[in-house]
Amino acid sequence: MITGALRFQRYAPPLIVFFAVIVLWEVLVDLLNIQRFLLPAPSVILEAFFRTFSTIMSSAAYTIRSAVIGFLIGAGTGILVALATARWTTIREGLMPFAIALNSVPIIAFAPIMNNWFGSTNPMSKIMIVAIITFFPMMINMVRGLTLVEPAKLELMHSYATAPFEVLTKVRIPNSLPYLFNALKVCSTLALIGAIVGEYFGGPRESLGVYILQEAQLFRFDNAWAAIIISALLGIAFYLIILAAERVAIPWHVSVEKR
Amino acid sequence: MDIALSPVRSARRVAPALAVILIILTLVVAWELIKLMFNLDKRTLPHLWEIAEAFGQPSRRNGPPLISVLIEAALYTLRGALLGFFIGAALGFVLGTLFAHLPLLERSLVPYVVASQTVPILAIAPMVVIWLRGSWWSVPVIAAYLTFFPVTINTLRGMRSPDPRAVELMGSYAASTWQTLWKLRFPSALPAIFTALKIAATASVVGAIIAELPSGVQQGLGGAILNFNQYYITGPERLWAAIFMAALVGILLFVAVSAIERIVLRNIVRGA
Repeated sequence: MITGALRFQRYAPPLIVFFAVIVLWEVLVDLLNIQRFLLPAPSVILEAFFRTFSTIMSSAAYTIRSAVIGFLIGAGTGILVALATARWTTIREGLMPFAIALNSVPIIAFAPIMNNWFGSTNPMSKIMIVAIITFFPMMINMVRGLTLVEPAKLELMHSYATAPFEVLTKVRIPNSLPYLFNALKVCSTLALIGAIVGEYFGGPRESLGVYILQEAQLFRFDNAWAAIIISALLGIAFYLIILAAERVAIPWHVSVEKR
Repeated sequence: MDIALSPVRSARRVAPALAVILIILTLVVAWELIKLMFNLDKRTLPHLWEIAEAFGQPSRRNGPPLISVLIEAALYTLRGALLGFFIGAALGFVLGTLFAHLPLLERSLVPYVVASQTVPILAIAPMVVIWLRGSWWSVPVIAAYLTFFPVTINTLRGMRSPDPRAVELMGSYAASTWQTLWKLRFPSALPAIFTALKIAATASVVGAIIAELPSGVQQGLGGAILNFNQYYITGPERLWAAIFMAALVGILLFVAVSAIERIVLRNIVRGA
């Protein structure tokens, strides 16, 4: 049971840091007379946020939609490919070094190609770059989760003459869940980065990447910062959703308990 | 024992290599087949040999061949990425070690370390560029921002990984915190740290390329990608060539870190 005191111990320090930073930021901007183009004060950013609320929200909606759809396609395909390769050792051993190599490719470099293929205002161009960027970490982690099973467990299943499909559902898939959620966390961040980088190379006016860039170029830094903070919050929210799903799905996992 | 195992071992080493070559061949064939089947024009998907040819041709009239332009750009980007990688790795190592020893600091700051990575970096990149007055330093800074995270988290995990009994044993020998750190925690954290360094290697290249986009740095791969993107209609193969070069840099840095990992970890195992 988490008691009140424990909960306080867990949440108080980061909250104190948060408020300290906000206050310090506000005071320092005022005291040191930091110019607005360098760093606007939190109060100015908040004001800009309310002023441009509808534009920021519709831009955020566009970006988050491409990020989520691309994420679902990329992560989904990654899981399917991993499940398929978990059975055939030869394919996997050939595929894995290749996938790891491709994973170290800066996929964002493909963003302009996607824009040229699908058209920069077509959401498909962002969805595809997100799908590619999320595919590899998901597949690699999932293959690891499906294969790094304690040999003793596999031997036990073997001695019970369990069918391969049941070994998959009863041993390999449960074993892979912590890896799956780790990959989902990595992919949630990558998805937003991918969508925004895609927008950088050209996108509709109402998208976070284009909006931030435009506002910064027009020296409307308070607006740009409001959008930056929204994109940061989106990233955090995306991550927290997966964290919550992890707690529901695998409450037994050690790293969940320790957090 | 070693000799008896060696044929098996070399066979296991050759099979994946063969498979990789097979996969590359399959991809090459698939590329050309897709091009043929869907009748894609040069703008959508150039022939692979057109891209290969583009490397040899000058990128500008009377300029040097594209390959030397791209190698120069790659080296330029690699310099920013490497510097960012080292700064980020050092910062990550120090932070991870501090967090492992000071739980209050861990509780107060680790949520923000995690949050820092959920922030889409390209969104802040223009601001970093402004802060650093558009100097080249925004490249290593952004690369470092992407690399410090995995190193911090894995250092923290790795430093906590030794068996509690081993830590107690060190304590019972009256080993100082410092000695326990270097003789026990650091060696047992190394595998986790190297895992992070491999992720960081890739991230540093991504960071360097992203940083070059809004900073107006022209000499690197990010600049090359932006530039050739503008001339995509007249010369798509040059953009493809730049992308292949970026891929090569990412893979090379990853392979380099993996090689160092193998050497270091082997020596640690031998030493133990």
